[in-house]
Amino acid sequence: MAILVIEHVSKFFGGLAANSDVSFSMEAGTIMGLIGPNGAGKTTLFNCITGYYPPSKGEIWFDGRKMNGLQPDRVCKLGMARTWQKVRPLAKMSVLDNVMVGALARTNSLKVARDMAMVQLEVVRLAAKAGFLAGGLPIGERKKLEVARVLATEPKLLLLDEVMGGLNPAESEEIIRLILDIRARGLTQMVIEHDMKAIMRISDRIVVLNSGEKLAEGSPDEIVSNQDVVDAYLGESHAED
Amino acid sequence: MTLSPSMRLGLSAGSGLLLLAALLAVPRFVESPYALHVMILIFLSTIMGQAWNILGGYTGQYSVGHAAYFGVGAYVTVSLMLNRQVAPWFGMWAGAAAVVAVALVIGSICFRLRGPYFVLASIAVTEIMRLAATNLKDLTNGAEGILATEIPPLKLGATVLTDFGSKVPFYYIGLGLAVLTILATWAVSRSKLGYCFQAIREDQDAAHSLGINPALYKNIALAISAVLTSFAGAFYAVYVGFVDPPTVLGLDLSVQIVLICIIGGIGTLQGPVVGACILVPLSEVLRSNAVPELLMKWGWMNGESGAGLFLKENLAHAHVLIYGILVVLVILFMPEGLVGFLRRITRGRRAA
Repeated sequence: MAILVIEHVSKFFGGLAANSDVSFSMEAGTIMGLIGPNGAGKTTLFNCITGYYPPSKGEIWFDGRKMNGLQPDRVCKLGMARTWQKVRPLAKMSVLDNVMVGALARTNSLKVARDMAMVQLEVVRLAAKAGFLAGGLPIGERKKLEVARVLATEPKLLLLDEVMGGLNPAESEEIIRLILDIRARGLTQMVIEHDMKAIMRISDRIVVLNSGEKLAEGSPDEIVSNQDVVDAYLGESHAED
Repeated sequence: MTLSPSMRLGLSAGSGLLLLAALLAVPRFVESPYALHVMILIFLSTIMGQAWNILGGYTGQYSVGHAAYFGVGAYVTVSLMLNRQVAPWFGMWAGAAAVVAVALVIGSICFRLRGPYFVLASIAVTEIMRLAATNLKDLTNGAEGILATEIPPLKLGATVLTDFGSKVPFYYIGLGLAVLTILATWAVSRSKLGYCFQAIREDQDAAHSLGINPALYKNIALAISAVLTSFAGAFYAVYVGFVDPPTVLGLDLSVQIVLICIIGGIGTLQGPVVGACILVPLSEVLRSNAVPELLMKWGWMNGESGAGLFLKENLAHAHVLIYGILVVLVILFMPEGLVGFLRRITRGRRAA
């Protein structure tokens, strides 16, 4: 069953088309990679899906429900949660409090929220830092905190915007394992990523955006052998790998 | 030594209760009306600062227009007392209701803006209210203000508890309101509301993506903050017995409210209390010309010299200037206020 359906979505800023006529759908429980050069419109598409921008044209359906015009907080309550390319820790709150804010989307009890938050901190292996101020964490842990925080909102669909950006190989590997763990729990994920090795490894399907348009869609193998994608984004060296 | 959170809570609750007991006993030993007056002003400032703290400190929305809620609370309470013979302790609830209505209108306008734009909008809206109060003469008696010295006696059944003949009843009412405001802030900060408020303060977009509706929660914060501020306004109006637009709706007052928190420490429970305890006595001392008199008494300054005469003549008039310089110094060297500054020092010592 398709959990997310994007139908002919366009987003214009003045005369500039950040997304134009993008369509695809996602099956529940899968991981979709969203790739493309800088400025291809990946984050804009995330913003349209999660309610930060209303799409100029087209429709977004999630779990059988039309999402156009819903505010981000409603989108979150309906079961879609996103992380940010530039991490946004609630700096002067503790790591635990950060995750509790996410959990409070599902409960009014601080005690329940605290328990839910600790569970997610264990999942991302950040429980030891629960009492630390979020603003003092190094980048690798901030990224994990973002993931724990959105997991605490109990989403059905997770949108991860470059969670491996700026991480060293060991940290990236940890995040990859985390993403695969999350899939094993039955959650659906859409992942924006520039690390091609990682994206090829984790994705069930990949959508390539270029200049706001969908250039290609397919399995990782189909994408690496697609001449349009090689020309626009991957380059020859990757195709030879 | 490290303390568990529950021990720390017990410790601060214990010291709070001790302080409260001491404050309750003060009127038994202090007879000077002026000393009681200064204490009452400290309570009033604590209420105003703590009320602002809910919106400014915890939710991060720096309103420089809180005089609006103070003024509406003051005017409604005093008008009801004079025109309809409603006792102020009932009238203040009518004031609170009016203030919630005003706050929701102001909130729906100003919360569309963020950061400095929100600050400017909050100033502008309050200035509109001041001008309206100055010109709606039938309602507010305009610039002449309203004089309200006849307070009905506070009765319990048939026994008269007090007829407000001295400052003592005001002392206890002010203390009670201050304690109520502090407890309200404490309760808010340890509830789901407090988490949502702080999340909005730290990053509104992130909070929005985590299921928090920023417009809704900002308006809730404003409503709580405005109601508590209106209680301060009602208390002030009845205590002083006079309201006019510049004193209860002026920009001076709005700024004063923010300064209490900036000096003490924004977003902490103790901050506004500390700020009030510093700013009120400071402005009293500067206003009363006590500084040059002390300097002369201690022989540090010759009262007959040119400089001495100049200071004696002018220092009392310059109290706003000195006040301003102090505020600038605090903002430069203690940006987290006195409470934050002290915390950093003690933490540093503990680490060393």
